[in-house]
Amino acid sequence: MMAHAADTRGRVEFRAVEIAFDGRRGPTPAVTRTTLTLEPGTFTAIIGPSGCGKSTLLNAAAGFIAPAHGEILVDGAPVRGPDPEIGVIFQQYALFPWLTALGNVDFALRRFGFSRAERRQKAMAALAEVGLRGQEKKFPGQLSGGMKQRVAIARTFAGRPKALLMDEPFGALDAQTRGSMHDLLSGVWRAHLATVLFITHDVDEALVLADRIHVMSSGPGRIVESFELSAARPRSAARFDAAQLAMRARILDLLRPAAEPAA
Amino acid sequence: MTASAPRRPPLRPALGRSLSGPLRPVVSLGFVLAIWSAVSLAGLVNEALFPAPWTVVSAFIEMARQGVLWEDLRVSLGRAAIGFFIGAGLGVAAGLATGRTQLFRMLLGPFLSLMRPIPAIALVPVAIVWFGIGEESKYFVIAYTVFLTVWFNTHHGMEYVPEIYIRASRSLGASRLREFLVVVIPAAAPHIAAGIRLGVALALLSLVAAELTGASSGIGYRLQEARQYVRTDRMFALLIVLGAAGALVDQAVHRICRRLVHWEQA
Ligand SMILES: Nc1ncnc2c1ncn2[C@@H]1O[C@H](COP(=O)(O)OP(=O)(O)OP(=O)(O)O)[C@@H](O)[C@H]1O
Ligand SMILES: [Mg+2]
Repeated sequence: MMAHAADTRGRVEFRAVEIAFDGRRGPTPAVTRTTLTLEPGTFTAIIGPSGCGKSTLLNAAAGFIAPAHGEILVDGAPVRGPDPEIGVIFQQYALFPWLTALGNVDFALRRFGFSRAERRQKAMAALAEVGLRGQEKKFPGQLSGGMKQRVAIARTFAGRPKALLMDEPFGALDAQTRGSMHDLLSGVWRAHLATVLFITHDVDEALVLADRIHVMSSGPGRIVESFELSAARPRSAARFDAAQLAMRARILDLLRPAAEPAA
Repeated sequence: MTASAPRRPPLRPALGRSLSGPLRPVVSLGFVLAIWSAVSLAGLVNEALFPAPWTVVSAFIEMARQGVLWEDLRVSLGRAAIGFFIGAGLGVAAGLATGRTQLFRMLLGPFLSLMRPIPAIALVPVAIVWFGIGEESKYFVIAYTVFLTVWFNTHHGMEYVPEIYIRASRSLGASRLREFLVVVIPAAAPHIAAGIRLGVALALLSLVAAELTGASSGIGYRLQEARQYVRTDRMFALLIVLGAAGALVDQAVHRICRRLVHWEQA
């Protein structure tokens, strides 16, 4: 299915974005002057060592924190705070434990003014899409980590965001579950055509999912190298092509502490 | 966290390991009763000051026959309940306001913190001057104690709602009102429930202080009366009834709260 509308929706631009936190000796930059454009409908991964500012960059795009300099635009409009057009998926799932799986998805549907019956039907469909048919009445506490993240994915996509920000969403899952989550996310992403910014620690994960990979370095946080992937989908970490393997080696080199300039 | 996995029984210290759930209070009470009986039988204590269990039982039966016991219990629990509902209602409302609104926090927070160390019994003179020796002064003393505790717990629950829930809620386009009702209040609910449970315990604890504001019925009054006639057996019976009623109410409230905040156990 070709959806031309999607080509014009969900362009995310970081323009000379600098983000600082108050340290003991005044504001310290966590991310320096970063310029980055996410084309509509693309999947961008950011990888980098712990503490290099990946989450900080994502939180600014989500409207949770304000940049000290520069601005972040979504389809030309500056981000001024959390916005349902910009979906967020958290590593800790952030499901509301007092609502059922269905209730959590329903929460995202409230903003559209659907009738109760429509909301219910759409929430059921969203959960079925992530493979949770029959689990609608369960509370998050009754679901495994992988199932919780499926609910979170269903919930976020139900809100029809133009852009989707994911901060190490599968970081807490075991390798096997993570593999099936990659397939699931690739499928849902293609069906909904959102622009994705995906943060990870895992090079293989980035190589399986992304169209473009940016490697960040710390002290202070910045993008040091970017890669374009053209490998056909669906992809698998077990069958990387030569380009992916070369990229993998290069990224691993970049991530090795010795390769980093002394901070 | 897999919900279907069978739960392991919690680890217990060696001595208590073989005693399971419902039997434990019986064993504990039996143990205390045995020591109490032994001490009485051995004549180690003055029976007039420290009555034997059977003397207390006959005092209990005597009061129950006269009908005063149930009437006193009804009156006292009624007072505790009314005082509790007034105090808890106001406490939750104040906590919701001070926990999330900068203005109310600034206006009320320090003042309420200052009131917190004032014990219920210190309020008895004020209650008598304000409300006389009628029922209102009892409600006032009980409601005051309950209010402070419930407010304090609600306030803290509201203040420490995990930021990630607020972020998720706003990113999903919830209005501030819906965020408050569907996210903030449930997130604080475990704290509010803990405050309510403490409030119930405090309502019963401050009951006797409240009945010092000149009562002519109630467990507290009956205790005063027993003191005048030096009836330690009656005092013991009344104290045990008060303790048992308190424990039963506390258990009931605990169960209700656990159902209301069912997701906390997960
Ligand atoms: N709220 C905050 N206040 C002060 N400093 C912060 C705050 N959040 C992050 N930082 C600092 O900013 C830097 C970047 O943090 P960030 O969380 O973005 O790292 P990250 O790349 O996401 O790391 P990880 O891979 O471990 O999640 C770190 O040095 C951190 O100490
Ligand atoms: Mg992070």
